[in-house]
Amino acid sequence: MAEKARIKLPKDAKRGEIIQIKTLVAHLMESGQRRDKDGKLIPRMIINKFACTFNGKPVFSCGLESAVAANPYLQFSAKVEESGTFKFSWIDDDGNTITAEETISVV
Amino acid sequence: MSMKRDVVLTVGVAGTMGLLLILGVMSAGIFETSAQQTRLPPIATEGFASARPRTPYPGWPTRDNSKFNTLTAIKSSAIPTEPRKISGPIAGNPEIGAKLVADRTRGGSCIACHVMGPAAGADLPGNVGPDLSEIGNAGRDDEWLFNYVNDARVYNPETVMPPWGTHGIFNEAEIGHIVAFLKTLKTPARFKTALDDPDRRPNPVETRDNLDSLINPAVWVVEEKAPALWMTPGATGASCASCHANPTQAFRTWAAEMPKWEPRLDKVFGVEEFVTRHAKATTGNDWLMQSDENTAISTYLRFIANGTEMKADIASAPAKAAYERGQALSMRKLGALNFSCADCHAPDRAANKWIRGQRLGELRGQLDHFPTWRTSQQSIWDIRKRLQWCQVAIWADDLPPDASAYGELELYLAAQNAGQKLSVPGIRH
Repeated sequence: MAEKARIKLPKDAKRGEIIQIKTLVAHLMESGQRRDKDGKLIPRMIINKFACTFNGKPVFSCGLESAVAANPYLQFSAKVEESGTFKFSWIDDDGNTITAEETISVV
Repeated sequence: MSMKRDVVLTVGVAGTMGLLLILGVMSAGIFETSAQQTRLPPIATEGFASARPRTPYPGWPTRDNSKFNTLTAIKSSAIPTEPRKISGPIAGNPEIGAKLVADRTRGGSCIACHVMGPAAGADLPGNVGPDLSEIGNAGRDDEWLFNYVNDARVYNPETVMPPWGTHGIFNEAEIGHIVAFLKTLKTPARFKTALDDPDRRPNPVETRDNLDSLINPAVWVVEEKAPALWMTPGATGASCASCHANPTQAFRTWAAEMPKWEPRLDKVFGVEEFVTRHAKATTGNDWLMQSDENTAISTYLRFIANGTEMKADIASAPAKAAYERGQALSMRKLGALNFSCADCHAPDRAANKWIRGQRLGELRGQLDHFPTWRTSQQSIWDIRKRLQWCQVAIWADDLPPDASAYGELELYLAAQNAGQKLSVPGIRH
């Protein structure tokens, strides 16, 4: 699977409207509790932080733990007062970051 | 006509693909007006379409099935016709029997298909077979009970009940324990919730939108990976796009007519085997069945035909014969548990009933969503892999994905799904 993130949010909205933002990223989210066929623990490798900003200001962020399943789906809402760009970032245990961005026009 | 051919041959053409394209266009022009000739797409006819030697899929059990029927050989022992005479009462320990009827390492076991009073805590028993919670009051003698478990075919040759004794899954002493336990069953089962009672359990309905990429990871494959593979040249320097620049138009309904009889190899081709052999012959790619690339392209070819009604040919002579072979195979009893496809999936047998917590579906509705994302496997399964797993689950012998028998079964299955609209990739547990 590609390491792309998928974002769904409206292309435009009215000033002050609360919009739904849906995000999905492809990631194995290896919990660190599974064992391989030789009985050895498969090391944990998960996305542990997600953050979303709008025009540079924080909108929503969270820490993820190992119970979160593969391909984490995160949905949240935001109140938009102006046009601009949402920026999303997912950071995994190794410090690798996946980023995405989407613009919205607000009338 | 011959003058046109000379012109083609003397023109300097750069690259084999260019020549093939020109010849293709020319012969279409030459032959269209004469007999209804269909040009068959090039396929690699040597070798296997799936990996050899076969390696078992990770986590799949392997069993010795050498003594039992497979889709390719009849090997099970003869069906006894007479019940065994039991002279005296059967000695058995009902507590051991209570454990055996719930032992999942023994093919189920009994409560996979039967409600049996308190057995296994009445936790999600099935209802393929009758409720046995009051069998102790049914007036059946020890001989009858013993023979029914040992080999029910002596009483009902059409039975779905596995021949537990004849096929060596339980020995005589164990059947004695089971009989002793059955004789203690005299009151209806008490279920903790409506979910545990198979007669009151609601039917599972798949409500997820399988074509929403935020719900079904398989959609990423058809939106990104497959189109990229389509454009990537193989060893010959050609890609799929070299001949098929616009697949979403050209193949708008193609996959809905699969699987198809392939006369050059005397077998039924599903989409997956066709992709392997056609890609090899044209692009040089080695996209074996169930490789990531083959699965991506095969899913994509059906995805672009979504909404089309399935209509596989079973009218032409070789297809009709293959269909009839598939139908016969669907009724062959297989493996240690002696189940045929029809036993679980025919409407007049166990279809629409429960094996433990799993509902058995009818044949119709089983194919339109394949290949499907399986959330419990975190991968895309094509129909051949699903057939393989069915066989493993019923303690029968799974074949390589390109087995002729699977092609015939797939054709039979496609015929039962005629008119169903493709909706691929599916999403299932």
